[in-house]
Amino acid sequence: MNPKTLFSFFPKWRTLARRALPFLLPATVFALWLYITGTTVTETNVNGETFETPLINPLFLPHPLTVLAGFGELWRDQLWLDFRISTITVLRGYVAGATIGFTTGAACGLSRNVESALAPTFNTLRQVPGLAWLPLLILWFGAGASGKTVLIGLAVFFPVFLNTLQAIRGVGHEYIEVGHIFGYGRLGLLRRIVLPAALPGIFVGLRYGAGVAWAVLVVAEMLGARRGLGFLLMRSQEMMHTNHLFVLIFLIGGVGFSLDYALRRVERHLLRWKRGFEG
Amino acid sequence: MSTQSFSTAATVSIRNLSKTFAATGDAKKNKRSANGDGGIVRALANINLEIAPGSFTVLVGASGCGKTTLLRIIAGLETADADGGFALLDGAPVRGPGPDKGLVFQDHRLLPWLTVAANVGFGLENLPAAEREARVAHYIALVGLNEFADAWPAQLSGGMAQRAAIARAIASRPRILLLDEPLGALDAITRLRLQAELERIWREEQITVVMVTHDVEEALYLGDTVVVLSPRPGHIKHIQPVAIARPRERESAVFQELRRQLLEELELRSHPAGGDTAAYEI
Ligand SMILES: Nc1ncnc2c1ncn2[C@@H]1O[C@H](COP(=O)(O)OP(=O)(O)OP(=O)(O)O)[C@@H](O)[C@H]1O
Ligand SMILES: [Mg+2]
Repeated sequence: MNPKTLFSFFPKWRTLARRALPFLLPATVFALWLYITGTTVTETNVNGETFETPLINPLFLPHPLTVLAGFGELWRDQLWLDFRISTITVLRGYVAGATIGFTTGAACGLSRNVESALAPTFNTLRQVPGLAWLPLLILWFGAGASGKTVLIGLAVFFPVFLNTLQAIRGVGHEYIEVGHIFGYGRLGLLRRIVLPAALPGIFVGLRYGAGVAWAVLVVAEMLGARRGLGFLLMRSQEMMHTNHLFVLIFLIGGVGFSLDYALRRVERHLLRWKRGFEG
Repeated sequence: MSTQSFSTAATVSIRNLSKTFAATGDAKKNKRSANGDGGIVRALANINLEIAPGSFTVLVGASGCGKTTLLRIIAGLETADADGGFALLDGAPVRGPGPDKGLVFQDHRLLPWLTVAANVGFGLENLPAAEREARVAHYIALVGLNEFADAWPAQLSGGMAQRAAIARAIASRPRILLLDEPLGALDAITRLRLQAELERIWREEQITVVMVTHDVEEALYLGDTVVVLSPRPGHIKHIQPVAIARPRERESAVFQELRRQLLEELELRSHPAGGDTAAYEI
């Protein structure tokens, strides 16, 4: 029986199969990982003695159980504090950068004069990669969290600023006219027409900014910090704790995923009116 | 904001109104245009029209003859040429758009981020919530969209969207209601029903209505006056009073006679042999 007919007999299997599909690749990789790290080969040394040795040096690829043990080690070594400082720093920087980016972007979008006054400077500064500010910020704020907050704020500011500006500029005149017909003034137009119409574009910037923020923070911590997940990454590598590296990579990925997921949920709710178009 | 309802119907006077559009798009670049006048479009030329308070005026005419432009000027969304006359509302020049002038656009222009109910209540923000809800419910029922009050505009058919747009415009009780082909997207049966509804709304709300249509029967069923516009430049070709008692019978001899005359004005009967089926709509 081919799978198609099987599925049409059991429609529930079909949805189950579709639900399971995203987990297929990670499960395969994990199985492969288990297999490779669990396989040993027999070697003979110069004295003619034979012994079992792992197929791959655990320094390069530790066994999943070693990684789990690494999590315990890191936890006892106050991993929680590093995790907390990284996530709090990224949230602070993100909220600050997104707020300032949104307000200046909206101001520029609404007024050509404000745009002429600000946008050229911002567009020039934007060309400096976020991390290039790091040495200066460390000089000014030290290697602690406040410099990182400013750095993330900068990195988030530009995408949010640009996308807000463009989204507001892109609001169709036909909707503005509806506001005019019903007698809305500047503030009413902004609240009832311009912002809702621009929201999809604004969210592009907010979500992009979230990804940038987390990436910039981790790298910044790797380059100069005394705490945080990025700092732990560098230390683990220097100490050749490969299993710690794996723990940290999973953690960093998890935080990034959660940030994006949370924003996606908010976006789905606020833009639920768009679902009709996207089917 | 439209807080109060405007009880008295408005008088509209249009005096020597002319509107020229500057060249747009490629016409400007190429320095040529279809009518060979350097890329400008004379949408309206020297329009004079008196619209009595509480009357129902219908504009008909070929595509591009300036019907939408005329409505937009009355609504205050467009200004006449500097030396090109003006539109007066109760004797005062129209200065800009506002809630006393309701407009149903040719495209429905519902706000996609608001539900149907919120769209209908869009002009009622300053009313107390209870009153607003009651009025929204009333007008949604009037256009037969009860079941879709909480739907998003993207989930509506074209005709449903157009009905919602009509409800939105009349819900804020303007003194003049401008309708740009409001029933264009409807099937024949809904259309007949909504024509009767429009007539009833007009009678009950006692507002001045100016409506654009391509349907000659619709014009004669609803209009106190039918204004025939001609293009290039848009001008008034003929004004046809419709002195038939309401509600009007479309099959009556006098109705059919007027219909024949109007189609002649629109030059649709010049080919008596071939053009009969096409003659129904402009
Ligand atoms: N914003 C504009 N810029 C330039 N030309 C315009 C503009 N709006 C309208 N026109 C021109 O003015 C003329 C009249 O347009 P209008 O939309 O009033 O026609 P209409 O009678 O409503 O046509 P239809 O029946 O197709 O809706 C057209 O030739 C059109 O190209
Ligand atoms: Mg039109």
